[in-house]
Amino acid sequence: MAITIVHPGNEKIPKAATPPPRLASLKGKKIGLLDISKPGGNIFLDRLEEILRAKYGAGEILRTRKPTYTKNAPPQVIEQLRGMDAVIEGLAD
Amino acid sequence: MSMPESALIIPGLKAGKKAVVVFFVTDCPTCQLALPYLNALNRDSVQVIGLSQDDESSTREFVKQLKITYPVELDHGWKMTREFDPQSVPAMYLLDERGHVQSTLVGFDKKGLNELAKALQHPPIAPDDDGAPAWKPGCGSRHLEPEAENSAAENSITFLRRAGDPATRITLRGEEDTYEYCQKQFGDALPVVPPTVEKVEAMVKASGLAAETVIARIPPFYGEATVEKIAANAVMAGCEPAMMRVLLPLVRAACDERFNIHGVQATTHFAAPLIMVNGPVRQELGFWSKQNVFSNVARANSSLGRAFQLILLNIGGGRPDTIDMSALGNAGKFSFCIAENEEENPWEPFHVTRGLKREQSALSLFAAEPPRGVSEHNAPQGKTVLETISFALATVWSYRMCLMPEAIVILCPEHAKTIHRDGFSKEQARQFLFENTGIPVRYFDPAERAEGTQLIANYKEITIRGEKCYQKFRAPESISIFVTGGTAGKFSAVIGSWATGPAGSQMVTYPIPDK
Repeated sequence: MAITIVHPGNEKIPKAATPPPRLASLKGKKIGLLDISKPGGNIFLDRLEEILRAKYGAGEILRTRKPTYTKNAPPQVIEQLRGMDAVIEGLAD
Repeated sequence: MSMPESALIIPGLKAGKKAVVVFFVTDCPTCQLALPYLNALNRDSVQVIGLSQDDESSTREFVKQLKITYPVELDHGWKMTREFDPQSVPAMYLLDERGHVQSTLVGFDKKGLNELAKALQHPPIAPDDDGAPAWKPGCGSRHLEPEAENSAAENSITFLRRAGDPATRITLRGEEDTYEYCQKQFGDALPVVPPTVEKVEAMVKASGLAAETVIARIPPFYGEATVEKIAANAVMAGCEPAMMRVLLPLVRAACDERFNIHGVQATTHFAAPLIMVNGPVRQELGFWSKQNVFSNVARANSSLGRAFQLILLNIGGGRPDTIDMSALGNAGKFSFCIAENEEENPWEPFHVTRGLKREQSALSLFAAEPPRGVSEHNAPQGKTVLETISFALATVWSYRMCLMPEAIVILCPEHAKTIHRDGFSKEQARQFLFENTGIPVRYFDPAERAEGTQLIANYKEITIRGEKCYQKFRAPESISIFVTGGTAGKFSAVIGSWATGPAGSQMVTYPIPDK
């Protein structure tokens, strides 16, 4: 016997965003490092910054920070990262 | 914020005057808060223009309800929005006499609004003490919302609409067992009641609202919680139709930004939303508040708690096998709903402490750890019972972490009675717990780098029973007292929080409409 049910879930499937092309090299590139404000995040990103500069010759490195790890980054933080060639979001725990 | 290079022709804008252009969406609470402040700036020498990213009818309603006195235009196809490209709304642009952008302001920010006023030689427009917060983040600008693959028109508004799409009907022709199908597709880990059209319609009818009415959008996937989708999950969880009266304010409460369900759903912590029910609705719908209150004892508690969890999984997308990455989880993610035993509570009920009238039914939501028991069968004095509880309170989050955690103290009727008999008001009992919960300073060795130790510069030193301690909680308000459970057994409980305050989750209390 046929039975008809009501779909109880979210039916809007978001389109996957297309990632930008991969950078051929990090040399001279502007790199954003986003600290999500978890304890230890700064230690991780400090080291990453050193490596990016010393080993890969990265150009400008912009450090910014979310006010809290529990919420999305506010627009002011995202705005700061506009124009970067790449952004690394630092998770730590 | 990117700015258009050259002056733009903005509908309604006259050249030769300074102007403030504000982009907004009608259902954004921050836009609703911010836009009325701009009324004060609209005068002869300055133009204020609102540009709505929504349709005409919701924009008209917005202007009427919020008493907006400056002109508001529709930004058809988000044409102007795309030129200015704000990340979020409200987004305000101060334009000079030639239409060039001088400064921008995003979200609600009193300081920024007053700077904007100053730039226009106007006195401050946002006083500190008008009851509104100093700052409130806005909502995403509609043109940046990921468009759904199956949305109808190119510019369809998929963000915070008033009416959503009807839910798809799925016809099963017996190839697969209906219960198996529903469990696999839409269940938690247990079988669910198939949400048949008839059952869902009865549930929708009981709500008194149209099926497509959008109640909220639920993070982390921001699925639209229409009345019909909520009803379908309620059917699956075994709710009676009358439960819609509680479910709708519950979904609204969960999506209140103070509660931060996004973080609660995505954290690796134990947190699960604990529903606490008060008022006449307890008797009207059969919410249980006696023995086994946290258990499988009453259909109302269990089915409401389960429906809520299914809504979070199916509409919000916080599935425990993918998005919800809690390290250990929480048994409360099956169902976590208790009611207060107001009849055995010697003090005012919890919702009265939270600011509502006694005869008002209400629900409160707290991002909760599992309860940990506190046995105290020997102490004859209320003060000693409170001390016993304070030892358990000292352990929430982790022993050496102070200031950040909050806690609910679940007092069993016998403990509440003893504490009350010894002359404590509810406020005094809370104050006593605040003053007597601490962790001895000798347990903090910075060299060990244990969690909480790194924050001692912020901690307050107090003396408890002659010993120097760090005070556990930042304020008496960090502790809430809720009386529930059976009248036999001197077992209370302490429930720890997730991250708290504006940077975490704040408890919310919502009224439940009368029958």
